Amino acid sequence: MEKLLKENDEKYIKDLFEKRLKDPVELVLFLESENGEKVNKFSAQYLPYTEEILKELVALSDKVKLTVYKDNPEKEKEYGVTHISALFVEGKNTDKNVIYYGIPSGHEFSSLLEDIIDVSNGKTELSTQTKLELQKITSSTEILVFVTPTCPYCPRAVRTAHQMAMENHNIKGIMIEANEFPEWSKKYNVYAVPKVVINDKEQFEGALPEDEYLKHVIKGAVNIILE
Amino acid sequence: MDDFFVAGLSTQDTESKDVKNEYDIIIIGAGPGGLTAAIYAGRSRLDTAVIEKLAPGGQIAVSDRVDNYPGFPDGISGEELTKRMEKQAEKFGAEFISDEVRSVNESKTANYFFVETASHGTIKAKSVIIATGADPVKLPVPEEEKFRGRGISYCATCDAAFFKDKVVAVVGGGDTAIADAIYLTKFAKEVIVVHRRDQLRAVKALQEEAFSNPKIKFQWDSIAIHVLGDNKVEGLEVENVKTKEHTVLKVDGIFVAIGTVPNSNFVKGLVETTDRGFIVTDKNRQTSKPGIFAVGDVRDTPLRQVVTAAGDGAIAEFSAEQYIKSKERGV
Repeated sequence: MEKLLKENDEKYIKDLFEKRLKDPVELVLFLESENGEKVNKFSAQYLPYTEEILKELVALSDKVKLTVYKDNPEKEKEYGVTHISALFVEGKNTDKNVIYYGIPSGHEFSSLLEDIIDVSNGKTELSTQTKLELQKITSSTEILVFVTPTCPYCPRAVRTAHQMAMENHNIKGIMIEANEFPEWSKKYNVYAVPKVVINDKEQFEGALPEDEYLKHVIKGAVNIILE
Repeated sequence: MDDFFVAGLSTQDTESKDVKNEYDIIIIGAGPGGLTAAIYAGRSRLDTAVIEKLAPGGQIAVSDRVDNYPGFPDGISGEELTKRMEKQAEKFGAEFISDEVRSVNESKTANYFFVETASHGTIKAKSVIIATGADPVKLPVPEEEKFRGRGISYCATCDAAFFKDKVVAVVGGGDTAIADAIYLTKFAKEVIVVHRRDQLRAVKALQEEAFSNPKIKFQWDSIAIHVLGDNKVEGLEVENVKTKEHTVLKVDGIFVAIGTVPNSNFVKGLVETTDRGFIVTDKNRQTSKPGIFAVGDVRDTPLRQVVTAAGDGAIAEFSAEQYIKSKERGV
């Protein structure tokens, strides 16, 4: 396959990683053969590109490594994988809870770079107030963020979900590339992105500032500690 | 698979810094106007912060192709153009803060402005450039809220992919509407442009492209009355403004581009605006409050384009610098 990253972008990322990465980060990628049970005909065509871009990415720093599990139901179960491809960003402030379903391409490639930097440094840029509020969530909470790679407002919504997951491991922050998962998108009536769904019961469309985003997450979380 | 990956990256190429509590210039908004002001301010070695609430780039970032910005004879995507501006501003030292500005107030001594943000507290600035742009006007039908995100969209590049082989309507007749209609033909099987007049307002070059595209149809002299459907859009009821006749267009999606509303509420009362909220400036792009400048789509101006916003940004930064110098000289 032809290289996907342009030379300029490679140089930029290499430099960025050199300056900003601290501790190691592991990217865990799940793939299946084209006829695998978690693959559909839309996501299947992206699998080689997803693998290729991540290989090119991890070659740019010693601190980022890639583990690929292909057709590995045991590992899929361990990580709670429901669709393919699935990518987990693993490091000191995550626990199988910062997730990308589908290729992190276009605008979402920036989200991945920023996630890697946050995980490597073990901290997020959420406000102190948000971090405190998030600690009230004590049971498992899923934030689904439906995106398209051509949506400039989407990375902010993805990053907020992922940072919340880094701050509280009861939270799973999940990006879903809507083009690759039409059935999944249909289930939640996604016709505009970003669309955020919290625990299947709270949802909103569009990019919201952190404080308003948080209100929806708190509302969607099942058990929160009441003041 | 070309253009698969980003033209640029939004991650800043700098050590993440703590936001300072004081700057020479604070620029609110990171569209072409704000970014140009930031480039000029950085080159003037002014301590500069750009505060952006969503994503850098502004409204033009969602334009598939910009054909009227000089220097790009083959066109350039709005995204790539603004990413380049952002990199340029960063290179000259502007700091970017991701936050929403709630208000701007003048200090009692009139030496400073206090910029109140949602998550970074209050930041002081000697001068402020307002570059907050405008948001799309909502479709004026009773069902707008019900169907927003369920078939009514304000971002063709974001949402076009959900309407593959479907029929969609575009409401509007200006540059944005017609560019959206052309872009949508890459996905939809038919695009119906609903326009309240019998001719388009869009620039001739775009009109020619639209008229020669077999997938684009026109519903002239018509305005949207109702959006029909249960859980998602199934049709658009339009009224002919001349005959008052109603027609139902069977569409699965509606893309809206009928003008913009300026983002100027946060400075209401502080600076003079028009009835519609556009900020009034003099030829130096200074508002009615000395030391506060306005650029781009939020400004009361006859033309709202990337190139005019950029021009505004350069003039406003020049004026802001003069303002700061005159203050320092005690004039």
